[in-house]
Amino acid sequence: MGTPNAVGDWSSEMEVSAFRRLFPLRYYERHLSESIRPDARPLKRARDTIVSLGAVASSDGSALAKIGSTTMLAAIKMEVMTPSVDSPDEGSVAVEFHMPPICSPVVRPGRPAEVAPVTSKQLFDCLLSSGMIDLKELSLIKGKAAWMAYLDIYCLDADGALFDAALLSAVAAFSHLRIPVVSLNDEGRMVMVSKELEGEKLDKEPVDKERRKLSLKSIPFSLTCILHKNYILADPTFEEESIMETFITVVLNSSGQLVSLYKSGGPVLAHTSAIQECVALTRQRMKELEEIIDEAISTMEID
Amino acid sequence: MEIDRADGRNPNQLRPLSCSRGVLNRAHGSASWAQGNTQVLAAVYGPKAGTKKNENPEKASVEVIWKPKTGQIGKQEKEYEMVLKRTLQSICILTIHPNTTTSVIVQVVHDDGALLPCAINASCAALVDAGIPLKHLAVAICCCLADSGLVMLDPTKLEEEKMKAFVYLVLPNSILSVLPEESSSVKGEQMEQGLITSVTHGVMSVDDYLHCLERGRAATSKMSDFLRRNLQPQLSSDSSKAG
Amino acid sequence: MAGGASATAPSTYSPSPNQKKKPPLFKDGDLDWVRPDGREFHQCRPAFFRTGAVNAAAGSAYAEFGNTKVIVSVFGPRESKKAMMYSDMGRLNCNVSYTTFATAVRGQVLDQKESSSMLHKALEGAIRLETFPKTTVDVFALVLESGGSDLPVVISCASLALADAGIMLYDLVTAVSVSCLGPNLVIDPISEEESYQDGSLMITCMPSRYEVTQLTITGEWSSARINEAMQLCLDACSKLGKVMRSCLKEAASASEES
Repeated sequence: MGTPNAVGDWSSEMEVSAFRRLFPLRYYERHLSESIRPDARPLKRARDTIVSLGAVASSDGSALAKIGSTTMLAAIKMEVMTPSVDSPDEGSVAVEFHMPPICSPVVRPGRPAEVAPVTSKQLFDCLLSSGMIDLKELSLIKGKAAWMAYLDIYCLDADGALFDAALLSAVAAFSHLRIPVVSLNDEGRMVMVSKELEGEKLDKEPVDKERRKLSLKSIPFSLTCILHKNYILADPTFEEESIMETFITVVLNSSGQLVSLYKSGGPVLAHTSAIQECVALTRQRMKELEEIIDEAISTMEID
Repeated sequence: MEIDRADGRNPNQLRPLSCSRGVLNRAHGSASWAQGNTQVLAAVYGPKAGTKKNENPEKASVEVIWKPKTGQIGKQEKEYEMVLKRTLQSICILTIHPNTTTSVIVQVVHDDGALLPCAINASCAALVDAGIPLKHLAVAICCCLADSGLVMLDPTKLEEEKMKAFVYLVLPNSILSVLPEESSSVKGEQMEQGLITSVTHGVMSVDDYLHCLERGRAATSKMSDFLRRNLQPQLSSDSSKAG
Repeated sequence: MAGGASATAPSTYSPSPNQKKKPPLFKDGDLDWVRPDGREFHQCRPAFFRTGAVNAAAGSAYAEFGNTKVIVSVFGPRESKKAMMYSDMGRLNCNVSYTTFATAVRGQVLDQKESSSMLHKALEGAIRLETFPKTTVDVFALVLESGGSDLPVVISCASLALADAGIMLYDLVTAVSVSCLGPNLVIDPISEEESYQDGSLMITCMPSRYEVTQLTITGEWSSARINEAMQLCLDACSKLGKVMRSCLKEAASASEES
């Protein structure tokens, strides 16, 4: 590796950690040329991923997702609302992505992260346009009452690929969601049927017989890749994101359709071959993530 | 493959483009860009001293402020701001004026579809007008995908709402007119084929996306020509400002 | 994360029964308050701590007391805000926030400013601020789920996070609160008990030094009851200190092995 240049000569006398801080790009490029990353991953492998369902007891559906040390906690609370006039037989979904100050040294209280509202919107677009949720399933009484699903995602630890982890936690929270049982009271308003009364005889027939699940179709999964020179690095860490600044996020749904292909600027231009490569990597990743979610659901059902 | 567009255009046809620079007196650079009825005004101030916290002080930074036609800015406008900021940052040469901030203020005059591409084109022209050093120009375009799989370029608001998906693409301006051909190719693929920014909305197949990309690329060469023609005469008469 | 609680046996820190045996005020039959979670009046919820919950932070800790779940991250010592004047003492900056799903009703606003300043006051006395002049240590807490006694849990968890970050402390800070419900003193109250309480008392202390950093009392108390409540809290605090200490030791020995 002894390339005859100033930095190369320096590195032999310098401690690795100092070299890493002083010449981060050099440090990375040395690794990349050997097809390995500093955390011992090959270039195109994502970090270990964990999903656990039902982390928040007070919500109607919740999940914790970890990709490497990036951690997301998502929880859904259901509330009854009047549906809009345009779509009287549909419920709705609201998505909020939060980056509390605990998650990263760059977020300070009172000065919310710029990316948070943008990520909220992108998550909302992906969840809705992927066709995962049939909003008609959230309807209670046409034109009168429907469910509003409030999805809140908290980033607990920010170490890169925030969108991927947030989307994964959102999808997992929806797969854990059980819609509460409600019934009409005498004034014609919706009231929640408390958990103790569930299954017992009620004066009023509940709108649903039991806590129901949503039938989720074409679930979206995403993978963010870094483009750097001719290298493609899947699932970047925070350090990688701050050194190499060109990202592509591909979102595919489980029926193989493209939900989003997002790249905003960055010094590296994406050629068609690179785009195709990123899509192929996302396809592979989707299989892994589908298995992880299925496993989380089956372990929850055993419990 | 014929489909009726309300304004009688064929699918590949862009709306009439118009661009005027130096429309604002007090700004360091400004431009107004219109595609049909969609019109955006961009003003550039700077470079001003200092960067914000969390920005790299060893590089210049670009700040984008989006002003909607009416009302407050919401999440959608925040997303536009972020895409615009990252896109402009990637075409500016950031090492020339380290520790400075260049502000780009985008005022929507009228939105009739393809708003973000129009704003990117306007900002790019305004940056040139302000004499901010750029690596290359960029052109932005909106491709729309109908249910039948037909790709339409530069949709109006009405068309955008009817379509199942649309794609915003930003590509580098063709540099063939200035530099000899061999210097423009990067490892087999032409530089102007590389994608700077891509934002999609709605579900489509991967092939449809690649098709959009191809059509977008073809169309941007026309826009590049327009942008260059528009910038060149002023450059020669007003070289002190643009230099 | 929540699953971790079952892995290590949760340790409890309930105070020992009173030294001086008092005749029971009520016979079993006419108890006027039964704790909703079936605990005895002087029984604390099992306390679970883990350090290093957030990698991005200099130090962090996660605490779970029943349904109360809290994460605290510590950043720094790092550059103070530009507007700050020179100071040869370090600065402490605290912030407490709640998730929108922390409470039963979504987005119910809890007084986050008040909790933030209480956290600041509780920790200030325990930190050796002179060891990091000109700089600031940020302590940020997020209450994931609010299940009662949130503030004491946040404070204990924050001191553990400070220790994890290697900030010089005189001692860990432990906090315990007691609610007064009619004639009864109930330790480590849950949300439901807090909403019925006639008064509350919280002590934050440094158990090894036997020093109190903060004492707050609300409601009407007789001095005898204050004494009783303080004894209860102090006893529980010193036991909680041991639980936290063992958590730190475990983390240290685990990192030595690897």
